[in-house]
Amino acid sequence: MKAVLRVARGIRSLLVGLGITGRHFVRPIVTLQYPHQRPDVTHWGGPIELVTFPETGTHDCIACNACARICPSDCFEIEGKRPEGARKMRATKLLIDFSTCSLCGLCIDVCPTDTLQYSKRYDDAAFHRVQTVNDLLVPFGEDPYLTGKLK
Amino acid sequence: MATLLLGVVFIMGFLTFNVLFLIWLERKVAGHIQRRPGPMEVGPHGALQTVADMLKLLSKQLFTPVAADRYTYLLAPVLVFMPTLCVASLIPVGDAAAFAEMPYGLIVITALSGLTVISIFMAGWSSNNKYAVLGGLRSVAQVVAYEIPVLLSALSVVLIAQTLDLQQLGDTRSWPHLFGLPLPYVVVEPVAAVIFLIGITAETNRAPFDIPEAESELVGGFHTEYSGMRFAMFFFAEYTNMMVLGALGATLFLGGWRGPLLPGWLWIILKSYAVIVVMMWARWTFPRLRFDQLMSFAWKLLIPLALANLVATALVLGAIA
Repeated sequence: MKAVLRVARGIRSLLVGLGITGRHFVRPIVTLQYPHQRPDVTHWGGPIELVTFPETGTHDCIACNACARICPSDCFEIEGKRPEGARKMRATKLLIDFSTCSLCGLCIDVCPTDTLQYSKRYDDAAFHRVQTVNDLLVPFGEDPYLTGKLK
Repeated sequence: MATLLLGVVFIMGFLTFNVLFLIWLERKVAGHIQRRPGPMEVGPHGALQTVADMLKLLSKQLFTPVAADRYTYLLAPVLVFMPTLCVASLIPVGDAAAFAEMPYGLIVITALSGLTVISIFMAGWSSNNKYAVLGGLRSVAQVVAYEIPVLLSALSVVLIAQTLDLQQLGDTRSWPHLFGLPLPYVVVEPVAAVIFLIGITAETNRAPFDIPEAESELVGGFHTEYSGMRFAMFFFAEYTNMMVLGALGATLFLGGWRGPLLPGWLWIILKSYAVIVVMMWARWTFPRLRFDQLMSFAWKLLIPLALANLVATALVLGAIA
């Protein structure tokens, strides 16, 4: 009698298992086909990038070196130039060596013009160490202040 | 002779294509059970993935271990496919159509399908590898144990049908009738059908009865030392075996090629696929059994149950007569 009960319980548990996998079989898939579909990253602090301000259409880096001074890993390399007749400097060179950056965010906190932020990039990769140096000015092209388009 | 050759070509062609499809189907079933899409990259919905895999296996280097028993080692992957092919030719696909007809078809099928295990054991033994030997030994023990309930459950159908001829098993006049309607044998022999399903899952060495090739304990079991196309032959034989035993199950319990509207050969294929999908479903649901659990399950539960079912069938038949 005990044995029969055990067998019956066993069969029941097997059917329950089949039921669970059967249910999951007909439910929609939950994975992403990665290179074709990309995840929507909202809570992600990727490599540091410059903010584009909508009023000017460009960044607001004044090459003050505050970020370079506070950076614990010393990954910044900054040069700047004062446009003719202007009060504030403009950055002409802004490199971050991502291979040493620990994404601590101190530069973002310290930036007086709030022009640094975490990007949403998550798949930066390189074959050589020199390729990990990000030139933050590249996306902006020619500087409108330095060329005199903006005052 | 010409029709015979044509039959062989046709069966080979169909089975090859079928294996490619079944492997794809298996991966899709596995994927969807785990809530992922499975192969998607090669061809529409990954339909050509197995073709790509096959090409890869074809181009791989073939290794023969130095200490292997060379001829046995080379023969095993060739032989593993033969019994399955013979069995495939015996499955009736229409009113007067099986590629080979046998008045004792069922006996021949059970005898032949037991032969697959010999090539598996050959492979395991000749590889000169401890894991392969263990896999081969396990396979023999398992197939011997599970052949019995398969036979007994098939016998209970034979008792009702009063024939061993698969062609006549598909004859609706031999089926049990309810209010004048012919019923497939699964309705009157559900226990035998379940035992048969479990038995053929074990005979094809599939999870949860895949201890002969248990990856986590035996590397790959009997096919550990095989590479490239030789390995693919074992894979090929496993899926073909599944198809053939699924078709046998469909013939015995699901009414064979009988069905409305569609032609007979399509019905038998559809019914075999239904059996196979259940086998795949079980594979991706249950964990692998331990060897002693497997043996005690066969000898202490399945065989007595199948015997009891057979005796009960005989008693009921006697009471009716």
